[in-house]
Amino acid sequence: MGKGKPFLEVLASAVHEDFRFPFLELFAFLYTLGTFAMANFTVSVYSQVSTDEAVAFAATTSLIGFSMIIFLILVFKNIAYGLGSELEKGIMQTYFSYPLKRWALLTAKLLSGIGLSLLLFLGIQISAFYIMAPDIVSTQLGTIILTYVANLSYPLFISAIILLLTLKLRRGGIGLVVGIMLYIGMSVVSSLAIVVAWATESALGLQIISVIAPTYALQYHYAGLSGISSVLWNPTLTEAMLYVGGSYVIVGALFILGYVYFSRRLNL
Amino acid sequence: MSLIVAENLRKSYGSVVAVDNLNLRLDAGSVTGLIGPNGAGKTTTIKMILGLLKPDKGMVKVFGQDPWDNPEIRTMIGIVYEKAFFPAHQKTLEYLQRVCRIYGVSESRAIEVLEAVSLQEATDRQVRALSAGMLQKFAIAHALVHKPKLIVADEMTANLDPQARSELLELVLNLNKDENVAFLLSSHILPELSRVCDSAAIMNKGKVWAFGELSELYEKYAVGIIRVTTDSPERLAADVKKLDYVKNVDSDARGFSVTVIDGREDEIYEDVPRLAKHVKAKLLGIETGSASMQELYMQAIKEKERK
Repeated sequence: MGKGKPFLEVLASAVHEDFRFPFLELFAFLYTLGTFAMANFTVSVYSQVSTDEAVAFAATTSLIGFSMIIFLILVFKNIAYGLGSELEKGIMQTYFSYPLKRWALLTAKLLSGIGLSLLLFLGIQISAFYIMAPDIVSTQLGTIILTYVANLSYPLFISAIILLLTLKLRRGGIGLVVGIMLYIGMSVVSSLAIVVAWATESALGLQIISVIAPTYALQYHYAGLSGISSVLWNPTLTEAMLYVGGSYVIVGALFILGYVYFSRRLNL
Repeated sequence: MSLIVAENLRKSYGSVVAVDNLNLRLDAGSVTGLIGPNGAGKTTTIKMILGLLKPDKGMVKVFGQDPWDNPEIRTMIGIVYEKAFFPAHQKTLEYLQRVCRIYGVSESRAIEVLEAVSLQEATDRQVRALSAGMLQKFAIAHALVHKPKLIVADEMTANLDPQARSELLELVLNLNKDENVAFLLSSHILPELSRVCDSAAIMNKGKVWAFGELSELYEKYAVGIIRVTTDSPERLAADVKKLDYVKNVDSDARGFSVTVIDGREDEIYEDVPRLAKHVKAKLLGIETGSASMQELYMQAIKEKERK
């Protein structure tokens, strides 16, 4: 018996459940709709920024916008609802009866629940970019990739939190609520942080937020955060990249925590 | 060779001790019943044996290995959980074929096991469309796919109709006899276990109170039990209960079982016909050595509690 086969079969089974009809079709449609219809490549976006890198950042961010929400909904469905109900109902016990290490089982579930969703998201985004703005892709590929990496960090952070809560509580409801709150909360908190920065002439709040949502650091690298009399925060590219790297260290640590808990502590 | 060895197992949920200092051994080729009321700790014990729960204390070995996160022993164990759940949107045959590929056995085995549990007509149904009984049968088919050497089943016959139960018990006997498959069967439906088991572990309050071959257990705990069959069990039992050497009387619709003080079994053969005549009850039979597993269980529990 090949060692890889149980893993692939469990992965196939997970994909079959996570993306059964009509979920794959529906979400592919929503991704496409979100990418092509909601993207904003109008002059107003370009006019706010001055450099080619900043244009590429703004274009990429506008392209990601709505599709990121779709990605998170898919993660909520697959992890909070899917994995949560498998733990709650006992399907996970059935998976545990197969000759597969626990870490491999979790990998199969995450590849299906998050990996495939991400692949779908990126596949449609990249196609759209090549169709809608080939000039930007050809000249600013590095900026585009960095923008994607920065923008995906916070959704992956939320995914990791949902995963940990779902594993710990062995149901997905709380994880789902916390995930939605984290997503909505970030918009509120970041707006407040900007107001606080203007009021106190200090961007400390935004810098703290950027540790888990580094897209703010990248945004203020390209556009800068202006106060009344001075620029409050204008991180260098290296600083922005450090924020991106730091955020992925946190995301990675959370996922590792999930793996350790699943492999060593999860009692069913 | 011992397939399962559990020593001093302990598991608690908060302040509730589910399993306490449990010892158990299951030999190759045996059919062992794990008997006990709800809350005795049977499911917790089985989960620790299967590596789904980590014991707080003690040691469990299955095929000589720690069962926690151990894929190697999974190829040798078939598992039937009390509540069977499978990916709901997959068809029964397709899912079992996938399971065949997981274990590296021929896909034709999927049909064989579905036939073995009389589910061959449901091959095209999605798992979610199966009734509770069919789902249970499917779980059993699922456990047989890879021809395991040991099957661990928690309340295997739950949700099955009498005919399906009977067929399943027959299947257990055949697998044990023909392929030397060992079974650890947890149930509180004792007559079923007595039909297939050659040994039993009687559990109560998280502990194994008695363990051994059934014949030994009967000899130890059921020797003083006499079965009386009559058309008026309640009337006759009421009088029998008053006899000074009678320890206990358990009545049912067709008669009652009498537990007497050791060494005074002979007296019941004189007193019961006399009392039957007195209360005008028709006596249909008196026999020893025919205690049910239920009586054996009750007797073992009482003996232990007395100590």
